[in-house]
Amino acid sequence: MIKRLVAAAAAGGIALALTACGGGTGAATAGGSGGDGGKVTQIKLVAAEYSKDNTAAFWNKFAAAYKAKTGIDLNVQVVSWDDIDQQSSTMLQNNAAPDILNLNAYASYAKDGLLYSSDDVLSDAVKGDLLPNFVQSGTYQGKMYGMPDLSSARALFYNTDIFAKAGIAGPPKTWDEFTADAKKITALGDGTVGYAMPLGPEEAQAEFSIWMFNNDGNWKTDGKWTVNSPQNVDTLNFLKSLAVTDKVTQNNPGKTNRTDGAFPLFQSGKAGMVVGFSPLAATLDKDAKVHYATAPMPTKAGGTPSTYGVTDYLMAFKKPGNQDAVKAFYDLYYSPDQVNTFIKAEGFLPVTKSGVQYFASDPKLSTYLNTLTGAKLTPTDDPNWDRVKLAVQQNIGAAVAPNGDPKAVLDALQAQAQSGG
Amino acid sequence: MRRTSSDGVGAAATVVPAPPRRHRPRRARAADSGRGDVRSLTALPWLGPALVLIAAVVVYPAIELVRASMSDYSITGLRKGSAGLANYAKVLAHPDLGTVLVNTVVWVLAVLVLSLVISLGLAQLLGKEFFGRKLVRWAVIIPWAASLVITARLFTLLLDYNYGIVNRFLIAVGLRDTPIDFLGDDRWTMPSMIAVGVFVTVPFTSYVLLAGLKAIPADVHEAARVDGASPWQAYTRITLPLLRPALLVATVLNIIYVFNSFPIVYTLNDRNPGFAHDTTITFMYKLAFKSADKSVGMSAAAGVANVLLILVVVLAYLRVSRWREATDG
Amino acid sequence: MSTSAVVAPGSSRTSGPGDPPATARRTGYRAVRPYLLSFAGLVVAALFALPYLVMLLDALRPGGDVLTTPPTLFPRTWQWGTFGTILADQRFRDWLVSSLIVAGTSTVVVLVLAVPAAYFTARHRFRGRTIFLLVVLMTQMFSPTALVVGLYREFFELNLVNTYMALILTNAAFNLAFAIWILQGFFSSIPREIEEAAQLDGCGRFGTLWRVMLPLTLPGLVTTVTFTFIAAWNEYVVALTLIQDDARKPLTVGISSYVTGYQQNWDQLFAASLVAIVPVVILFAAIEKHLVGGLTAGAVK
Repeated sequence: MIKRLVAAAAAGGIALALTACGGGTGAATAGGSGGDGGKVTQIKLVAAEYSKDNTAAFWNKFAAAYKAKTGIDLNVQVVSWDDIDQQSSTMLQNNAAPDILNLNAYASYAKDGLLYSSDDVLSDAVKGDLLPNFVQSGTYQGKMYGMPDLSSARALFYNTDIFAKAGIAGPPKTWDEFTADAKKITALGDGTVGYAMPLGPEEAQAEFSIWMFNNDGNWKTDGKWTVNSPQNVDTLNFLKSLAVTDKVTQNNPGKTNRTDGAFPLFQSGKAGMVVGFSPLAATLDKDAKVHYATAPMPTKAGGTPSTYGVTDYLMAFKKPGNQDAVKAFYDLYYSPDQVNTFIKAEGFLPVTKSGVQYFASDPKLSTYLNTLTGAKLTPTDDPNWDRVKLAVQQNIGAAVAPNGDPKAVLDALQAQAQSGG
Repeated sequence: MRRTSSDGVGAAATVVPAPPRRHRPRRARAADSGRGDVRSLTALPWLGPALVLIAAVVVYPAIELVRASMSDYSITGLRKGSAGLANYAKVLAHPDLGTVLVNTVVWVLAVLVLSLVISLGLAQLLGKEFFGRKLVRWAVIIPWAASLVITARLFTLLLDYNYGIVNRFLIAVGLRDTPIDFLGDDRWTMPSMIAVGVFVTVPFTSYVLLAGLKAIPADVHEAARVDGASPWQAYTRITLPLLRPALLVATVLNIIYVFNSFPIVYTLNDRNPGFAHDTTITFMYKLAFKSADKSVGMSAAAGVANVLLILVVVLAYLRVSRWREATDG
Repeated sequence: MSTSAVVAPGSSRTSGPGDPPATARRTGYRAVRPYLLSFAGLVVAALFALPYLVMLLDALRPGGDVLTTPPTLFPRTWQWGTFGTILADQRFRDWLVSSLIVAGTSTVVVLVLAVPAAYFTARHRFRGRTIFLLVVLMTQMFSPTALVVGLYREFFELNLVNTYMALILTNAAFNLAFAIWILQGFFSSIPREIEEAAQLDGCGRFGTLWRVMLPLTLPGLVTTVTFTFIAAWNEYVVALTLIQDDARKPLTVGISSYVTGYQQNWDQLFAASLVAIVPVVILFAAIEKHLVGGLTAGAVK
């Protein structure tokens, strides 16, 4: 035992000496490559963990089905969202990319020329089935690299008991109504707040996006960054006024995350409204403590509401001999049995037309499904967004502090975006 | 991160016996001058396996770290070429570096000093005979046995503005009318992190110092008592000086450990935007994955600088403490 | 344990102002002192254990009740089944087994490699000795987070990614440093005469080490075991990076599954975390006496 350890360690020492200066060409072929030009016998998937109960269980079953169908082993590594950036970066730094990576970004990888495009690995049937707005968000420089795995859309969640108590008839349609309702709710006292606003680093870009989209603003307009457009400054000023002037939010919204901050407040029945998505609904239904309903977001002036949509991606890395295996992976994943099973188990929304039909019968999802095809997304097709998103997460919270300066914050973010991220 | 702390106590055993041994005649035949009683080659079979393992597992990644710090990476992690010292320059020019360094000094000093002071008292208590001592020892070990990630998670909950039982308690006993935002209020964030840092550092430190106390021969105290010294005099004039070797070990290890303590600073601070409460180790992580810099090259440069910083601080401390030892005679 | 008495002739008796010597029984303080100490001990124990008791209470309520406002100390609804749910989960049991294998084996490897190195450095002076000890110490200054990229490359080249072996080697290497320093101290404190006598009796070098020195160093070995085990047990970032299969993840990594951005099982997270503490506390309870004895023995003149 010890001899083997020592031998292994010694071998390590030698191997290192050889690779330390080489830039790691030796590592470029993953464990599965079956030699020069040969077909791989195994591929690796690094998947993000949406939930303990469902993610690993789904991928393990999927791997078995994939093996049965293709004879190729699918090695699955499930990584938490907190760690997946670090893990994927570590693999890429060592030229040991997985074959398939599940992440909330892809454009930087496409820019680095690491990925297969849909022309290489998606069958025409699958291409035709994907929802157009997700195809668009997955397309970088005319080719699609970001294959969507699932999606979600946001909606306004409101506590119906609190609304009744505050004498509010229905969900607000405009920002003025929203402010008025939030004030009524906050006036109920006992720690109840009108609106739970998570602008902490976890998902600040999501919270700001949905408000922005409902004031006719966007991150980019006609291909140009418009982070500090007048509408966006207006939107952030509105959010600041909710927190600072009207005091209808929870304490310190710029330093509140979603998962352990805003959502639990709504789950405790202490927040009148929160922007949520279907997994929150699942949790609320399970806890059965709070009576709630969902509604479209209020807009600044009462126009047509926009929904904020999110999709994550399954991207495929170009590696010798893995193209067919990757193609088979996508073929299987997008078969209705698989993709819809996964999405249903995780409580998300479909990314395919067939999926929309499949889920149409579920009344709980109708709020989201109706808006899904019109949902606006963040500019994930721009590699700069991968940095801008982080800058937004780390900075926007400061704008809603009492001494915060929304315009200055957005100006800085705009400069960041324009400077190439 | 835990490893540095946990291994710590052991070294007490090394440093503690050292001073007496210096005077042992036996040592004379094995002077520490570099020429020894055996040739280095003879040592190889004994030290070789350990050396090989360290070389293979620790040295290589350390070299890789230095190499990474001088490389240019895409934000995906793909290496694009050499960067020379550009990453170091960018880290030095980072607008938040000053804040981070000040935070690091405050964090390391506060946790270190508070932990040592509290541990000195706790070690005294743990060394005494009393009913229930075993129970106390077991209780003190729990924060050490628990994973730091979990302890940090637990404290984000305990200290939360809305959900934290600590605020609930403060209000219930009438100390406060409104909750304190321990983790979100800039005035409270660092003190809260330090409190938790001390909480997880004290157990290990106390056991190092307990070992040191146990090493002090009983007759020394008897003599002091006969001389009519008060307990406080006996403690400051006899116990503390004799405890110096153990204190030295506890300090050196804690410097390394507190510097490199990631989970507490990161987790307790994870709701705050920017770098306002980060230390060098979380700064390093955020440079790579959480800030718009998103640069593993800069992160590696910060990592190298962090190691050098620790090295300098530890060496400086060793020097100063040795010097003191010498002047104290 | 008579052997340790040889090493520690002072028999590790404290004599803080605390021991009640026959001469000092005159004040009232002396009479209440034991109660005061017990009381102080109770307060200290409460301070250190209380956060984990709250964690226990959080484990015993439905996950949705953990983050509620206003918070309550005791569950509104007691949910006694959390621990049963955890222990019945095959994934959790796999993680537990992985942790036990990795931490246990790492500890053994550390002992096997550190004992000869420590013994030799304690007993001999040779060129490079000081450097050896310093280099060993320096390994502690690198944070694993910074080294993890290089570690991944290394084990990738060795085809050891996703193996316990990779974790064992890493944990062993990182804990070797202090193990060597600890044991070196203990070996140094054993009088040479004992060893020489053994050699006269015909024991070879290894015979002496195995039959005479090791039993005398038992407290030191126990110390090494405790600290290496805790360190390996709680290691996170290396295991996160090097392990791929869910079933081979150690507890520290697996536990992060309980709370994600989309599904939060706070109750299970805390129950699992408490279960994870148990083996360490059991280990500590079993050897606590030797631990302090061990540290003492090394220090006695």
